[in-house]
Amino acid sequence: MNFKSLLYLVVALLATTALQAQDEDFRKKAPEGGPPPRIEFGEYQQFKLDNGLEVIVVENHKLPKVTFQLLVDVPPKAEGDKVGMAGMAGEMLSRGTENRAKNEIDEAVDFMGASLSTSSGGAYATALSKHKETLIELMADAVLNPSFPEEEFEKLLQQQLSALALQASDPSYISSTVSDVLTYGEDHPYGEIETKESLENIKLEDLKEYYNKNFKPNVSYLAFIGDIEVDEARSLAEKYFGDWEKGNVAREFYPRPKAPEAAQVALVNKDGATQSILNITYPVNLKPGSDDAIVANVLNTILGGGLLSSRLNQNIREDKGYSYGVRSTLQYDKVIGYFAAGGNVRNEVTDSAVVEMLGELKRLRTEPVPEKELNSVKSFIFGSFARSTERPETVARFALNIARYKLPKDYYATYLEQVEAVTPERIQEAAQKYLLPDQAYIVVVGNAGEVAEPLERVAPVMMYDKQGRPLDKAGLTVPEGLTAMDVIENYIEAIGGREKLESVEDMSMTMGATIQGMALTMKMKQKATGKMAMTVEMNGSVVNETRYDGEKAMVSAMGQKQVLEGEDADAFKSQAMIHPELSYDKKDYELKLTGAEKVNGEPAYKIEITSPDGSKSTEYFGIESGLKLKAVTVQDGPQGSVTVTNSFSDYQEVEGMMVPFQTETEGMAPVPLTMKVEEVQINTGLEDAIFVVEKE
Amino acid sequence: MTLRKLFFLLSGVLLGTGLLAQDRAVEFEQLTLDNGLDVILHQDKTTPIVAIAVMYHVGSKNENPDRTGFAHFFEHLLFEGSENIERGQFDKYIQDAGGTLNAYTTSDVTCYFEILPSNQLELGMWLESERMLHAKVEDKGIETQREVVKEEMRQRYDNRPYGTFRMEALKRAFKKHPYQWPTIGSMDHLNAATESDYVNFYKDFYVPNNAVLVIAGDFETKQAKKWVNQYFGTIPAKKGSFYRPEIKEPALNGEVRDTVYDQIQLPAVIHAYRIPSITEDDAYAIQMLNRLLSQGESSRMRRALVDEQEKALAVYNFADGTEDPGLSMTFAIASAGTDAKDLEAAMDAETAKVREELISEQEYQKLQNQIEASFFTDNASMFGIANSLATYHTIYDDANLINTELEKYKAVTREDLQRVAQQYLVPDNRVALYYLPKPAQP
Repeated sequence: MNFKSLLYLVVALLATTALQAQDEDFRKKAPEGGPPPRIEFGEYQQFKLDNGLEVIVVENHKLPKVTFQLLVDVPPKAEGDKVGMAGMAGEMLSRGTENRAKNEIDEAVDFMGASLSTSSGGAYATALSKHKETLIELMADAVLNPSFPEEEFEKLLQQQLSALALQASDPSYISSTVSDVLTYGEDHPYGEIETKESLENIKLEDLKEYYNKNFKPNVSYLAFIGDIEVDEARSLAEKYFGDWEKGNVAREFYPRPKAPEAAQVALVNKDGATQSILNITYPVNLKPGSDDAIVANVLNTILGGGLLSSRLNQNIREDKGYSYGVRSTLQYDKVIGYFAAGGNVRNEVTDSAVVEMLGELKRLRTEPVPEKELNSVKSFIFGSFARSTERPETVARFALNIARYKLPKDYYATYLEQVEAVTPERIQEAAQKYLLPDQAYIVVVGNAGEVAEPLERVAPVMMYDKQGRPLDKAGLTVPEGLTAMDVIENYIEAIGGREKLESVEDMSMTMGATIQGMALTMKMKQKATGKMAMTVEMNGSVVNETRYDGEKAMVSAMGQKQVLEGEDADAFKSQAMIHPELSYDKKDYELKLTGAEKVNGEPAYKIEITSPDGSKSTEYFGIESGLKLKAVTVQDGPQGSVTVTNSFSDYQEVEGMMVPFQTETEGMAPVPLTMKVEEVQINTGLEDAIFVVEKE
Repeated sequence: MTLRKLFFLLSGVLLGTGLLAQDRAVEFEQLTLDNGLDVILHQDKTTPIVAIAVMYHVGSKNENPDRTGFAHFFEHLLFEGSENIERGQFDKYIQDAGGTLNAYTTSDVTCYFEILPSNQLELGMWLESERMLHAKVEDKGIETQREVVKEEMRQRYDNRPYGTFRMEALKRAFKKHPYQWPTIGSMDHLNAATESDYVNFYKDFYVPNNAVLVIAGDFETKQAKKWVNQYFGTIPAKKGSFYRPEIKEPALNGEVRDTVYDQIQLPAVIHAYRIPSITEDDAYAIQMLNRLLSQGESSRMRRALVDEQEKALAVYNFADGTEDPGLSMTFAIASAGTDAKDLEAAMDAETAKVREELISEQEYQKLQNQIEASFFTDNASMFGIANSLATYHTIYDDANLINTELEKYKAVTREDLQRVAQQYLVPDNRVALYYLPKPAQP
């Protein structure tokens, strides 16, 4: 007898012996709910002080409590070699003011049974309402008069270093660090990570500078929440924040992080781990208040937004028992949002769990969500919304979002109507746009010895260290004594040999691509004497022409013509070379062999090259084939620096030389371009005339 | 102004807190059904939601020593379904109704709860009555949940730095009492469980006379009572007594000291002191001592260990608050470069100080102010209130403690704090554990 039947038996016994003989049919079906209650949105008041500080007041006298929240909306800024600086600056605000030492602040806050914390983005405080003025005065003192005591700075720095050591052993922290680096890139403010070195670079002056440049009332919002009248809030705001001086807060712009071209596993080894921490992630361009933001929320709730009955949980937890729980996030952001899905799974099912999770992403892209399931998720969202109104902090959060994201005033009042209007078609559209199983970083922190090989069947596996830096994989080590120049010589040999390459006088190449339905043709002519001419045609008409005669360059595009000379023209020098590798050993090139990695599944050596003009690129050469597989260059442009990645494939022989017939370019245009060689000609005796640059 | 008036004014300032709390008293109605089910109703119509909590007086301490982890495992199984609810549909009902649900298991109780829009109260009662009356678990559910619990074990304990500290302390602090094993229990025991184990556990503990049902929020009292009777009134009571271990753990009589090696970078020191039941008056003094030592930046251990001496990155003092005599713990993580020994010496200096000196009036008042403020934090939500009422009723048999507990704290004097520290916070009464980085293992 199995358990089920046994339990039935017990139930039956109980039923006959103990239950009264009465109609128990009402138990058979779930009761219908009554008419749904009206969800009341708490009111709030909003006004602006003369210095630009926006004040929001949410009155709620149910409990004798107040919460004060100051949000200083500092635009994201990269911290370079001082990552952690902003966080420390925020911490320092409550560690000493011109009026109080840290001990005095702590004592005053704790004596009231209150809380006060400060951060790089403002301050947060709570207390019983009888202490409201004492508390707001303390908060204002911390925010407006910080004294940045040297002694506290030293202590804080030591604490930060200890905290870093503590986190270093926490697999969840490692997962989030590596995910950030991959998703946003290590130069993006969101992708920068704290290290011992970056913390040790921070000086007290840096913190003061961060504070002075960013803590301004005109980028800030002050919320009073709870047991306080509007008039009193207004006079407290005036009294304690009215003299705060306004000022300009600079904004910086960064290239938009993009999802990887193909799915890849980023594996971080943790010896002895019994579980793998999975995180499938990539950046998404999803803005707060956009049409897609609400649909994306519904989509994510279906997929894995915290419900036990979400698709991820049903599959991974309830059906397979792989995990205690998995969830996903599809987060909007003013700068760049992200998608993430993950959880902890045991070693032996790591690859299966990834396959299943990616499968759930695909399913939402390819199949419309059943109405019944969609309605159930909508009900859940309605309910969450209703429950959240229990806290006055929710109303304040809505008000803050409306103000800082410039949302329509009725955004939250009509939120549920908009949720109601979401259709299965919209969900599928959104899934195709935001769920990218084939363009995801699959970050796995776990026992590499046990999980690496099975994961290979999911996507190419690359090893990373705890800070998101690629590691040499077993079998991908650089042999002792191998130099960068050896790799270059191998390459020269692989594409035809030095003698053959040196016999090339000129080369003409025509390449084609399609961009958004339009045909693109690029014609490139190069001469071994260091001259170049290139035209780009779109649907048959020339949109760009570039010439370089060895000294001067001419660029014409969109009817604008520009002649560059001297240093400005130097960058063309290397572009004009047919085989620059031939000169790597002679001229002022700097080469560094920095490791081995896989490029599209093929093991390759990685070489960093600094040209005589100072420009840098990273190139990858196949270990087996010797061929160049990828080149990454960082180019300065009008909108800041742009990273251009060229991947080379389909090498074919042309007059005894190997030429890549396919180049995939990323970073030049808004979408990746695949260029295919249509024609290659060698030594056709190109005339110097076609390279001539005429001064105006 | 006379001196007497001045005194009144002062005491009003200092002690006016009790008055305030009474102003905001949590009102409730309590009844008991014929089958022994206790029911507590707290009405609050501010938000159109309702919280339902059903707390069963069963936790890991009621387990058979060969079947540890059973109470918690059962909590997982009881989401599987019932005679009228198909497998996997339990949470679907709640989701479709716009609600949320969850559960937790401690060494003393298992609590299930739902938070629903107010028009769905009946649904919540139906689901909870199904769980109490005729839960049903299929083999597939057992197999799956066993795997899920194993993953929970790995995630919460094995794979988390310092994650095992509680179980390491418990097994050294208790040799006889079931508190020696953690709620998550043993995976071998769960693997060994047979059908009769499941059936008996359900029969023994999942009965109305071992439970309390609390409803808090927006409802009509008359209607709510009608549903309570309809759904729960005919669930049969259990005859006979409940297994409540009456095992008295002998005093430690000497410090127990050990070292655990873990995948960590910073050492940690854990002191686990044996303390009386949460229902004893001295438990309030212990809670206050823990606050004194590590609640807030100005608390003694945080100031001394973290701020002044920079020996700790973090320090926490907390008591589990168990029905039978349990543990109060100090958990401190060393700052980078600090030896566990040095950290421990600094911890010991602080506990010695509370044994040797009365705390100041100012500190005493600070504790009382914090306790007053925390009352409003704990009772800020309908779920918070439902959970408090259920706990006070189950453990203390006095739901009104939600309103009178502040008086209990007020009754603790500075002298009591010193006496309790002298009695319990002594090395002979503790387990001392060092957590050290794994490579250091000899």
